[in-house]
Amino acid sequence: MAPAPGDPHEDERLDEMHERLARVHADAPGLWGWLTTTDHKRIAKRYVVTAMAFFVLAGIDALIMRLQLARPEGGLVGPDAYNQLFTVHGSTMMFLFAVPIMEALGLYFVPLMVGTRNVAFPRLNAFGYWTYLIGGVLLWGAFFLDVGPDAGWFAYVPLSGPAFSPGKRMDVWSQMITFTEIAALVSAVEIIATVMHQKAPGMSIARLPIFVWAMLVTSFMVLFAMSTVATASIFLAMDRLIGTHFFNVAEGGDPILWQHLFWFFGHPEVYIIFLPATGIVSSVLPAFTRRPVFGYPAIVVSTIATGVIGYTVWVHHMFNIGLPVLAGSFFTAASLLVAVPTAVQIFCWIATIWTGRPRLTTTMLFVGGFFVTFIIGGLTGVQIASMAFDAQVHDTFFIVAHFHYVLIGGAVFPLFAGFYYWFPKWTGRHLGEGLGTLHFWLFFIGMQVTFFPMHQLGLDGMPRRVYTYVDGLGWNGLNLLATVGAFTFAAAVLVFLANVAWSLRHGARADADPWVADTLEWATSSPPPAYNFAHIPVVRGRSALWDRTPNDPIVVGLSTKRREVLLTTLLDAEPDSRHEHPWPSIHPLLAALAVGVLFVGAIFHPAAVLVGGALFCAAAFGWGWPRKKSEIHAIEHALEHGHAHHPPAAPSRRTA
Amino acid sequence: MTSLAHPPDAPPPARLTIDVSELPTTTFGRRNLNWWGTVGFMAIEGTTMIVAAAALLYIRGNFDSWPPRPILPPHLGVPSLVLLLLLVKLVPAWYAIDSAQRLDRAASRRWMALALLLGTAATAFRLLEFDSLNVRWDTNAYGSIVWTILGLHTFLLVFDVLETAAILLLLGDEERLRTKHYADVEDASVYEFFLSLSWVPLFLLVYLLPRIG
Repeated sequence: MAPAPGDPHEDERLDEMHERLARVHADAPGLWGWLTTTDHKRIAKRYVVTAMAFFVLAGIDALIMRLQLARPEGGLVGPDAYNQLFTVHGSTMMFLFAVPIMEALGLYFVPLMVGTRNVAFPRLNAFGYWTYLIGGVLLWGAFFLDVGPDAGWFAYVPLSGPAFSPGKRMDVWSQMITFTEIAALVSAVEIIATVMHQKAPGMSIARLPIFVWAMLVTSFMVLFAMSTVATASIFLAMDRLIGTHFFNVAEGGDPILWQHLFWFFGHPEVYIIFLPATGIVSSVLPAFTRRPVFGYPAIVVSTIATGVIGYTVWVHHMFNIGLPVLAGSFFTAASLLVAVPTAVQIFCWIATIWTGRPRLTTTMLFVGGFFVTFIIGGLTGVQIASMAFDAQVHDTFFIVAHFHYVLIGGAVFPLFAGFYYWFPKWTGRHLGEGLGTLHFWLFFIGMQVTFFPMHQLGLDGMPRRVYTYVDGLGWNGLNLLATVGAFTFAAAVLVFLANVAWSLRHGARADADPWVADTLEWATSSPPPAYNFAHIPVVRGRSALWDRTPNDPIVVGLSTKRREVLLTTLLDAEPDSRHEHPWPSIHPLLAALAVGVLFVGAIFHPAAVLVGGALFCAAAFGWGWPRKKSEIHAIEHALEHGHAHHPPAAPSRRTA
Repeated sequence: MTSLAHPPDAPPPARLTIDVSELPTTTFGRRNLNWWGTVGFMAIEGTTMIVAAAALLYIRGNFDSWPPRPILPPHLGVPSLVLLLLLVKLVPAWYAIDSAQRLDRAASRRWMALALLLGTAATAFRLLEFDSLNVRWDTNAYGSIVWTILGLHTFLLVFDVLETAAILLLLGDEERLRTKHYADVEDASVYEFFLSLSWVPLFLLVYLLPRIG
């Protein structure tokens, strides 16, 4: 269909299109709609809010630890509570905050950036969120009941095994791991399939936005890394619950096996958190420097290289177990090598800023904070890649300083940059720049004051994971300084939360593309309607919005009676077929609850595996069993004639 | 066929369009979105199997003999029968793919029914197969890993049989069966190949490695 020039009915037709799509993509009203939605944006926002709640809770853990260590022989908490605090803090930050929130950004923005209506496998997406939520509630429920895990976030055996951790604490940890890994794995499958197949016409693989590349590489890493740790956590659970001997030396098991399996996941995990953050930086820079990011091919190749090399460095976490010299040299070399692609990316970003016209917004402040903080973390990383140096600082506060610089510098600074950049897309309003600037400086200064002294504490011999220390070791001043920094840091997060609360009601209104950015999420209204785009756009270059012309073609012919998406070919994104996404459903929630029965029940009785498994099968049957054709016909007929089976949700704004 | 709906002789339109209404709604193989989902799950399950196999080889280094004395090597009778059933099952799986691609309902039902029959038999014998290991899961690390590998594959086998049964049920229900569901028949059958063929190396590790030391 090609309307004639100046067609007076074009606007009318577009309005009708919006109405029809809104009817087809509407969720049921109220609680039922909330429980059954499969809209990637609603689910991703839930992930973000839940992950931020866990971030705040784990941050409070950290404040309690810093208060305890503020002076020698502090009496705020005892050793048992302290063990739970650092275990739950680390486990939450890694498994319930950092990975899920990066996945959430991918789940929200990948479908928008590639120009499609929803993520592939929308029901699986809903299932993933519920599974993640159950895992998080399990960990924190146990912690509040004083049965939180207490053997550290990497749960080394034999400490975490049945002999040295009786009771249920480490069972909670191992099952929480499995829950969150299931969520991460299904998200990875969804993102890979979306990028492979649901790209807008013209978005060939060479034109993918760098954030999408980063999420694609991350998702492939998740497939292999999370499967490994889920298997390892099941081994641990079986050792604890049904008497297997994977890690029991007396019966031929091996604690070092745990270390290999855990770090084969654990180091790629760092890149699973870091690569999406690099994608955020590459997304925001063009908008704030007014030019495409410098060195697109170099950044993409570096992203892939990081993903590959990231799998060859895991043993550097185990330098002190007694390695053969050759193995030590290999893993030292690999650990040094992985700095190269990261450095390439950083030089590309510097070149982008150098040759562009930068605007110093809060987003850019956080990008700057990322450069400074992450580079310090990277430099200490190069130091501890050396076995000789690592042997000196292993298990000291030097390591604590290093990985907080890497993870907060490499992930949380870019994440906040992303929040300030994308908040208008999520909510239709800007975050306040004034509060944002205050947030940044408190955060940046708090970060340095908290963690920089820890390098020196480590070199002075202060071990990590001690609940107190005696006076006279020379550690008092720096510990107090770190505690002051931690509260500055916490104040920054409070300012951010206040900014969000204020901006949701009073923030300046944002139009569809407030930053004049180059990627497709800005081609639709802020916030986007349930169906994302009225017409699927056609892409003509790497900077989808900057390269478009007024007469670019649009896609027509997708059904407005069902939730149809356009599938395109893998490399060239040529239109290939139409695919029907499912309606909303309660079954993903039921399936997640069944998984909950299985894993939580197994802590108490092995029979729960059978009961949970049977319930899961029942839920999965309901999930996949199709409606009768006559029923589908009736629904489609009703939708076509304006009688929504749910009351229609009005489109918030006009889309492209 | 997709084309720019812009006839050469017509006056230039306000907006060029790409009309996709004629594109197919049922595709097979890598053109099918669900196929990529299945491949993703194969990658996850395959990684799990590789990790378990690596754990077996790692643990083996802790023992002087494999199986550790005085445990006898596993019996081969029932395990070989199960392996045979799993491999024979690939014949109906192959033809199910072919008939699904031809949208041939009768043939799809026939081959899926045969696959279900063979899968059910394999699962039934699989439950007896645990006895062939000659060791309990809680005897030592050797017992733990061989039970786990067998258990992992059995878990997937049971789900596969249930999925095959559900698809067969759908193939018999004209009220619900739509053309796109033939892609599900293909998908499930492709997964059968993964499930059966992945068992071959695991079988060698669990059953033949103890016989060669």
